[in-house]
Amino acid sequence: MHVSNAVAPTVRRNALGRSSRFRRRVSLFIGLLLLGGEGVLASPFGDSDVTRRQQGILTGMPFMAHVSARAYVDDTGRRMYFAKPPARIVSLAPSITEMLFAIEAGEQLIGVTDFCDYPPEALKKSKVGYANPNLESLLALRPDLVVTPNDFLKPDVIAKLEQLKIPVFILADKNVESIFAHIQTLGRIVGRSTKADAVAIELRREVTAIQQRVQGLPPVRMLYVLNSQPLITVGPGSFIDQLIGMAGGVNVAAKSATPYPRLSMETVLQEDPEVLVFPVGKAEGISESEQQSWRRWSTLTAVRQGRLRQISADQLNRPGPRIAQGLESLAGILHPDDPSENRIEQ
Amino acid sequence: MDLASSWTHTGAVLTFHRWVTVIGALLLTSVGVFALCLQFGATSVGLGTVARAIMHLVRGGEAETTSLETSEMIMIQIRLPRVLLGFLVGSSLAAVGVTLQALLRNPLADPYVLGVSSGSAVGVSMAMLIGIGSAFMLLPVLPLFGFAGGLLALLLIYRLAQSQGRLPIHSLLLAGVILNAILTAFIMFITSIMEPNRSAGLMAWLMGSLTAPGYPALSVFVLYALLVLAMLMHKAQSLNMLTLGEETAQSLGVETEGIKKQLFALTALLTGAIVSVSGMIGFVGMVVPHAVRLLIGSDHRLLLPASALVGGMFLAVADTIARTIMAPAEIPVGIVTALTGGPFFLYLLLWRKDRMV
Repeated sequence: MHVSNAVAPTVRRNALGRSSRFRRRVSLFIGLLLLGGEGVLASPFGDSDVTRRQQGILTGMPFMAHVSARAYVDDTGRRMYFAKPPARIVSLAPSITEMLFAIEAGEQLIGVTDFCDYPPEALKKSKVGYANPNLESLLALRPDLVVTPNDFLKPDVIAKLEQLKIPVFILADKNVESIFAHIQTLGRIVGRSTKADAVAIELRREVTAIQQRVQGLPPVRMLYVLNSQPLITVGPGSFIDQLIGMAGGVNVAAKSATPYPRLSMETVLQEDPEVLVFPVGKAEGISESEQQSWRRWSTLTAVRQGRLRQISADQLNRPGPRIAQGLESLAGILHPDDPSENRIEQ
Repeated sequence: MDLASSWTHTGAVLTFHRWVTVIGALLLTSVGVFALCLQFGATSVGLGTVARAIMHLVRGGEAETTSLETSEMIMIQIRLPRVLLGFLVGSSLAAVGVTLQALLRNPLADPYVLGVSSGSAVGVSMAMLIGIGSAFMLLPVLPLFGFAGGLLALLLIYRLAQSQGRLPIHSLLLAGVILNAILTAFIMFITSIMEPNRSAGLMAWLMGSLTAPGYPALSVFVLYALLVLAMLMHKAQSLNMLTLGEETAQSLGVETEGIKKQLFALTALLTGAIVSVSGMIGFVGMVVPHAVRLLIGSDHRLLLPASALVGGMFLAVADTIARTIMAPAEIPVGIVTALTGGPFFLYLLLWRKDRMV
């Protein structure tokens, strides 16, 4: 999950049902088989497939092995072909920026969002806005690839970019597993697959280690306060809800039907969280005074035991390479007495 | 002024007896509705639970479980203040709606038409933008910012609309509408530069939420709203005169300029406070007055208090639906007010048309 999608009130993750995943696989197969030899940055429109297929049949087959390595399908099932690794990439999410830097593709990154602040080098890149990016400054950067999440970006931005023949690669933040996949996909696109594989494997190892450590421990009830007034939290289907489970916690909003519900305060009192977790950060998060105002709910176990905890919003909310650190902090908050020695240094 | 004619001038005869009957019946219903709203919530805690808790205390048993304490907290610290706030906000919205519809002689007027609400909303948005939080040293900061913003907007509109000591209705309406547009654009600007998570929080707040502040802040709002409501009631007869047109009202001996200014100030002060505590809850202020007028006529001495009571019941019930229908999640109460109030109003309109044929 992305910083921003945390509360974007739309139908989102369901867009990728089983059928579309199947279709994606089929189309990948077809794409690999019938790819055109000249295929430089092919148009992502599905309609052009017909011509492409014919070209592929005529010219592509002998080069299949060569070209197929450069064919990619994004999370919305759109095909894309790169003759050579893109050198002018614009990232439209802090998490994507972090991934690109993690796989040492920072050089190829030329534009980022206003909220891309990690690593510090990201601050030096050109800014293009965020949920509603400035198309002119984006175009002025002459990008050969725009990588974007699909959750909060206005649909017309993607349509416009496609119209201008700028390839848009969409990464849907579904779950922790998709982070590993995204890192590897990006690695292959930018020509850093060895590094990307290493990053993804290491990240997976760290996440698994944390999971194993908390596995036997008694689960701890917690509430993640995304917004305090009115209360907005994370529910099933959200990325952070999954992290809570992985860190050995029980989300008190588990019964809500939406990923980012406005949870009723009555339910909070009844479910009685043992820990209140507040995200804090520069651009988002809950202010100190706001956190203190939670102390008036004196019957809560969390308040009685004084377990009001803060967590870096950037680490936990961004589905990027720092997710292990976020998970580690969360596990530490939930299980402070965990005697295990092998914690990951942050 | 001749008292007898004043009682009958709107057509429907308003007798003291009729006033007492209607208001009495509405008051009784309100009590019932209030209890009903207290009964339902996201949790199974109800009035019975509370009764048992009280019995338990009376019998002098040890306060055994935390769940008893939790039930009490849910009822006393969450549900009671929330229903109270909902009722009072609903009453205020409806009363302001009645007043503005008469004052501006415009059936589309609602509490948000004069731009004061946007002023309050800008105040709250600024507070959220600088991340000050909703409470500071136990002071409810958001309402204070909201109220300050509303006051500034009020003064601005007044300065813009008045000319040569007079307050022409059309300039008032125009100044309000334009200021509304400007301030709304400003709010949009603020949300667009905010980090998306935080702007989602702001949007949720603006869409209207009846999360009651603690009792100290709530009681300040209750006293304030009741005071302004009482003052509005006091002006009901002047409203009757104003609906006849300013010239007629003047010829009947009403000092219209003074009355207009007072009514503008009262409604603006109340609107600013409402938006500060509950965001923008649409529909109540526009539709409740019309619905009540259809049923009991347009004498403001009856219409104003009756609308206030009906508005209070309507919003309290709408909020009960909003906080239970998707439990444990809540939905913005404005959705419920529009979805239930709209069709009901259309039904009333049709029913009334049939009867008149």
